Amino acid sequence: MKSFDMPVGPLHLSLEEPMYFRIDVEGEEVAGIEITAGHVHRGIEYLTAKRNIYQNLALIERVCSLCSNSHPQAYCMGLEKIAGIEVPERAQYLRVIADEIKRAASNMFNVAILAHIVGFESLFMHVMEAREIMQDTKETVFGNRMDLAANVIGGVKFDIAEDRIAYVIAQLNKLEPILVKEIIPLYETNSSILSRTRGVGLINRDQCIDYGLMGPVARGSGYAYDVRTAAPYAVYDRLDVEVITYPDGDVWSRAMVRLKEVVEAIRLMRLCLRELPEGPLTAGPLPFIPAGEAITKVEAPRGELIYYLKTDGTDIPARVKWRVPTYMNWDALEVMMVGGRISDIPLIVNSIDPCISCTER
Amino acid sequence: MAFLKILFDNLREGPATEAFPFGEAATPDAYRGKVTFDETNCVGCNMCEHVCAGGAIRFSEKEDGLHFLIWHNTCISCGLCAHYCPTKAIKLSNDWHLSHLQEEKYEQVDHAVVPYRHCTSCGERLQPGGPMLHQLAFKGTNPRSQRLMNMCPDCRRKASYSGEAL
Ligand code: SF4
Ligand code: SF4
Repeated sequence: MKSFDMPVGPLHLSLEEPMYFRIDVEGEEVAGIEITAGHVHRGIEYLTAKRNIYQNLALIERVCSLCSNSHPQAYCMGLEKIAGIEVPERAQYLRVIADEIKRAASNMFNVAILAHIVGFESLFMHVMEAREIMQDTKETVFGNRMDLAANVIGGVKFDIAEDRIAYVIAQLNKLEPILVKEIIPLYETNSSILSRTRGVGLINRDQCIDYGLMGPVARGSGYAYDVRTAAPYAVYDRLDVEVITYPDGDVWSRAMVRLKEVVEAIRLMRLCLRELPEGPLTAGPLPFIPAGEAITKVEAPRGELIYYLKTDGTDIPARVKWRVPTYMNWDALEVMMVGGRISDIPLIVNSIDPCISCTER
Repeated sequence: MAFLKILFDNLREGPATEAFPFGEAATPDAYRGKVTFDETNCVGCNMCEHVCAGGAIRFSEKEDGLHFLIWHNTCISCGLCAHYCPTKAIKLSNDWHLSHLQEEKYEQVDHAVVPYRHCTSCGERLQPGGPMLHQLAFKGTNPRSQRLMNMCPDCRRKASYSGEAL
């Protein structure tokens, strides 16, 4: 059989972001893969040491648009840990709401793209239209569709008053039936989806652990690791988060984990809105951040996001470093792709929901 | 088959998109849009300039007062200025109509002067301090505090001792 090298990327029709793969192909089959990174490196970690802690809130939020709430959240948690700041309860609940609304929108985006790659454009548009309900909610509550600008050091800078609570619940009531009665059954039964995604891009639980995989990718292989239950932050310990897993480790399982997590996110938002206690939104006007170090982690839509912070007593951080889930997840593409067909490459890449702008910052 | 029902429902419900620019696009009140500035309430603390991630805000000290500049093109609508402003003199409106021609790109600027105050007794120049600041600091004012607040620290001390401000 004839074998040859095939370059895919860094700019390629089927990739949403710049990645570069050299794929070793034998006939129709992928025999080996080499990934080259670094096409969208912008030096953001370096820039954080050139700006003060407040300006960094906005900079860090712009590392990536889909997990744009998880980054400032982990960053604020780090500074709060160093300074010993107690975040008020109301702010903790509001942080969970911001986190979950982003997770819902991010997961639906990825699942919609799956339909687009399969060629089922009307399903793609249907999921994107349902996702608009979350986008509208974000715009109304936070003032922007993507960058919520929800977190500040010591709390949050948005509030959900009584009339807004009713609005958000009405929006959730609008989304949930579309998701549970239309979208999820379609992904579970539609033959075009199933034939392209079942048994494709396989990775098992042990391989997930070997590669240190996170988030829906690992949970799609039955590895039930979720920061929200393993090391709860904000008020996740009171919410009894259900960790969704599927056993098979294929493209379809990862999509199903994401869809079911949207349903869970809706439940968590409802719960937070009901339990939302009265009280202040921030711990105080201006924090003093002493010299110190902290490591924090949160569950971003793509998995575990770790922040390391070092301060020196000034209001410019000495070092901010983060590790994103895609870093490990894209290494595992090797396992998922080798032995598969060339035509499945875009589906497999999409199934890890890669966020290149986070990874290469 | 299941999808046919969805297609039919979509057909019945009509377009899901907004009619803009032929109709109004719904804009929520909380939408983070163009920055507005109220020079009567600004106390010149410079916090907004300090936190501004985009470097869109600039203050400079001139003879007649503090000159405030906002470059709307550099602003990223993060809302940090409004959050940290003690008197809420700087805010984000929900105006998102910010598109303009390329040749107008250096004109997307708003300028305001925050005048200095002058001591009502000796005339010395004082930092600006609008009514909002006193409201915040003293939770209300009375005629005596209003007279004192427009004096420099020295004159205020003298006035308090001599009882003339009572
Ligand atoms: S919204 Fe953000 S970028 Fe714009 S002026 Fe205020 S602090 Fe600066
Ligand atoms: S606008 Fe507000 S934050 Fe900026 S200098 Fe004036 S009072 Fe201070």
